[in-house]
Amino acid sequence: MDAFLQGFQIVLQPMNIFWVVIGGFLGTIVGMLPGLGPATAVAVLIPITFGMDPTSAIILMAAIYYGAMYGGSRSSILLNTPGDGSAIAATFDGYPMAQKGQAGEAMAISAVASFIGGVLAVFGFIFLAKPLANFALKFGPSEYFLLMLLTLSAIVSLSIGKMVKGFIAMALGLLISTIGIDPQTGVHRFTMDIPHLSEGIEFLIVIIGVYAVGEVFYNFLTIDKVKKEKKKVGRIWFTKEQWKRSKWPILRSAPLGFIVGVLPGAGGSIASMMSYSSEKQLSKKPEEFGEGAVEGLAAPESSNNAASVGAMIPLLTMGIPGSGTTAVMLGALIMLGVRPGPLLFENDPGMVWALINSMFIGNIALVIINILLVGLLVKILDTPAKVLYPLIIMLAFIGTYTLSYSTVDYFLLLLFGVIGLFMKIMDFPIAPLVLAIIVGGDMEQNFRMALTSSNGSLSIFFSSGISITLIVLTVLSLFYPIVINKFKKKSRNDDKEAISA
Amino acid sequence: MKAVKIGMPLFMIIIASVFLISSFAIPKANLGNPNGPLYFPIGLSIFMLVLSIIYLFNELKTLHEHNGKIQVLFEGRTLKLIAVTIALGVIYAFIFEPFGFLISTIIFLGCLLFYVNGWKKWKVNIIVTVSFSFITWYGFSELLGVSLP
Repeated sequence: MDAFLQGFQIVLQPMNIFWVVIGGFLGTIVGMLPGLGPATAVAVLIPITFGMDPTSAIILMAAIYYGAMYGGSRSSILLNTPGDGSAIAATFDGYPMAQKGQAGEAMAISAVASFIGGVLAVFGFIFLAKPLANFALKFGPSEYFLLMLLTLSAIVSLSIGKMVKGFIAMALGLLISTIGIDPQTGVHRFTMDIPHLSEGIEFLIVIIGVYAVGEVFYNFLTIDKVKKEKKKVGRIWFTKEQWKRSKWPILRSAPLGFIVGVLPGAGGSIASMMSYSSEKQLSKKPEEFGEGAVEGLAAPESSNNAASVGAMIPLLTMGIPGSGTTAVMLGALIMLGVRPGPLLFENDPGMVWALINSMFIGNIALVIINILLVGLLVKILDTPAKVLYPLIIMLAFIGTYTLSYSTVDYFLLLLFGVIGLFMKIMDFPIAPLVLAIIVGGDMEQNFRMALTSSNGSLSIFFSSGISITLIVLTVLSLFYPIVINKFKKKSRNDDKEAISA
Repeated sequence: MKAVKIGMPLFMIIIASVFLISSFAIPKANLGNPNGPLYFPIGLSIFMLVLSIIYLFNELKTLHEHNGKIQVLFEGRTLKLIAVTIALGVIYAFIFEPFGFLISTIIFLGCLLFYVNGWKKWKVNIIVTVSFSFITWYGFSELLGVSLP
């Protein structure tokens, strides 16, 4: 309780409230720009945290994260172009609502649904974070290695239909993480006698390269074809009838999204799709879904915001990012000297609880921003992409420079921008690459520490209940796509038989 | 289009092979297990090599299938846009420190905006270039205390 109150005191400092509002606003803007999601928002805006104290920095980054989640749905509703995967579900009914002249109502209900989803998930965070951190204290090197393996395999397995590519991306990320001086032995690996590489490749450069520069390159593919639609927003509040239809879907979807967010690998996209399909199944009027059903918009919006809060739990309690965005945040935190993990709750409870409490304030600020400033936000959407993308490229360069004060990294930035472009063109999932680069170093060190403690015997990885559970979950996560594919095929065959009968 | 479809797995195979060959050149450690630093990179390189070969065969099987994104890459000025951005980025890297942040950023952003947004919108390009270069400099240098050349 003391830590909770201490957290409130920290977050109520005017400067921290300022950062929450600024982070939420900037996150909303970047998140709502087509093609740019929360990971890009955090990556591009990381340099703002330089020179800040770590507590303010983490509060700001979290605000950018859930701000981008709010923003992602703006472009889904108005342009039928989701900011990122988790905003796709908002196009299903949000855009049809906008076409019917209900854009303002759609944006209001999505803001309120996001708010409720986010706030309910913060309560979940309060109750779950500490017990999970205490549980994580039981983890040794072998358990940590297996947990990271599970996270990576879960992320890869979610790229159903392109698992080979997912594993290649993961292996490439892990190999990149081995570049530099081996911390256990001091041996230089793959440094090619280039002093700049002895510290390894800064993962934030990879992240900014792939997510910011790569995204802009990818958006160059359509830059001359995009025609902006000007939308009439209409009244910016929903009707009693719309609220009546939405309230239960919002309340049901929040816990679902929160749980999905906590799971490694799963994230806002899965959460929003799951809540959309479950609400469609529960609905008395499923035929209205896809035609502008308000609950079809409210449910995924509640769910994906709850997932973004849930995803912070494994990040803070175990230092395991479960998604591309939380991986970016972990990178930034490490750079700021904060080491997320179970001990963070012991060593710096003020910071953790300040972050948790900032989410309440952030969600309130965001709902106000998203409803009161909707006119301004819509105007920002009118910013031509041809002006916007050069600015993002410029920010990416500045961000990279401020990481190491060396322009040599500009070449790495461009290289990873090109890699990111081709990965997107060839349908490679990017999250496994980014996640692997970030956890790769720790994964290898934990693997070797575990083996050292067992005199080289692999039995150490089967020596505890936690380890065995993690191995079983890893295997299950790998078989999950195969089962899903078989299930889909079977249901297709059943349909055919039913038709022929 | 086929060259890109085949090129990507070949590129991955080359990367994995380079890592594998270089892994054997990693010096032995004086502390602990002498081969300790080798196991992870060797295992990963082999893993990536095998997967990249599978990926190559998968691509060969679907070589005739259309990939709209690759097609768009070669249409219009997309490739030129990417190439010019990279070229300007390389120039930016060379002039950033000698010219200082403001001048080099105005040159870089200005050139990029004129190329991407077109010469007809010269007023917007100039206003955006100058104002954003200055705002960024002020934000980083003065508000955030980040040292810029």
